Amino acid sequence: MSEIKVDSLTGKTSAGDITVTSEGGAATMQLQQGLAKAWATADDNTTIMDSLNIASITDHSTGVSTLTFTNVMNNNLYSITVAGGYGGGTNDMGIISWNDETHLVTTGSTTYFISALNNGSTGSNYDPARGCYHWLGDLA
Amino acid sequence: MAGKIIADQIEHSTAGSLDTSYVVNGSAKAWASMTGAGTASVNQSLNNSSITDNGTGDYTLTNTNAFNYADYATGCGSQWRRSLYTAAQTSSSINFYTTQPDASETALADSGSTGFSVTFTGFGDLA
Repeated sequence: MSEIKVDSLTGKTSAGDITVTSEGGAATMQLQQGLAKAWATADDNTTIMDSLNIASITDHSTGVSTLTFTNVMNNNLYSITVAGGYGGGTNDMGIISWNDETHLVTTGSTTYFISALNNGSTGSNYDPARGCYHWLGDLA
Repeated sequence: MAGKIIADQIEHSTAGSLDTSYVVNGSAKAWASMTGAGTASVNQSLNNSSITDNGTGDYTLTNTNAFNYADYATGCGSQWRRSLYTAAQTSSSINFYTTQPDASETALADSGSTGFSVTFTGFGDLA
């Protein structure tokens, strides 16, 4: 087995572009583009349990929170995938979404989330017992 | 290509070591940030060649480089108390619908919400 011991990886031709070969060998892709730039698990919109590149969480009100990056994104066009914990009742379906584009954010420094719960016929805000968040995109 | 290193493991001086299989297998092979309002469009993406607006709340993304199989792992996100979910996927494309928790499981209007955005991430093996 070969091993590389380094503290950082930087592209030679272009600093932000390191190419890796696909599993099947038919394609190549940019390493940096495929790496998650931030992720977090949070309890009740109040506590970060574990994370990468997340400085803080702010609980604004029931179901409304802001997560702030340590290192900011390059723009507000990043991709977010989220999962919210089960609400606990029959037909409950918890989802986490983000607020409008202004909260997705011009500086790339925060994402403003809103969590909703289907409690049978109408939706209402809720604080997920466990919220999971992943960000992909370009860091500044 | 400027240079090539073949290695099975990388090690940081303080943060630990990692098999490079996690780098290759653990990297997202596709992701996209899309505007769903009106005619759907892609804002920013990796490994995406086009988006097709199939109708209300119904989108199909086509990959530039195909996955090795159809059953790759996907994650979805949506703006404003809605949810995006996968309806069908092949190695080279994926079809999504939007819904929200206070409605039945049907595709919802993708207009009327300025800048309404949805996102997708795909993990698995490329061909």
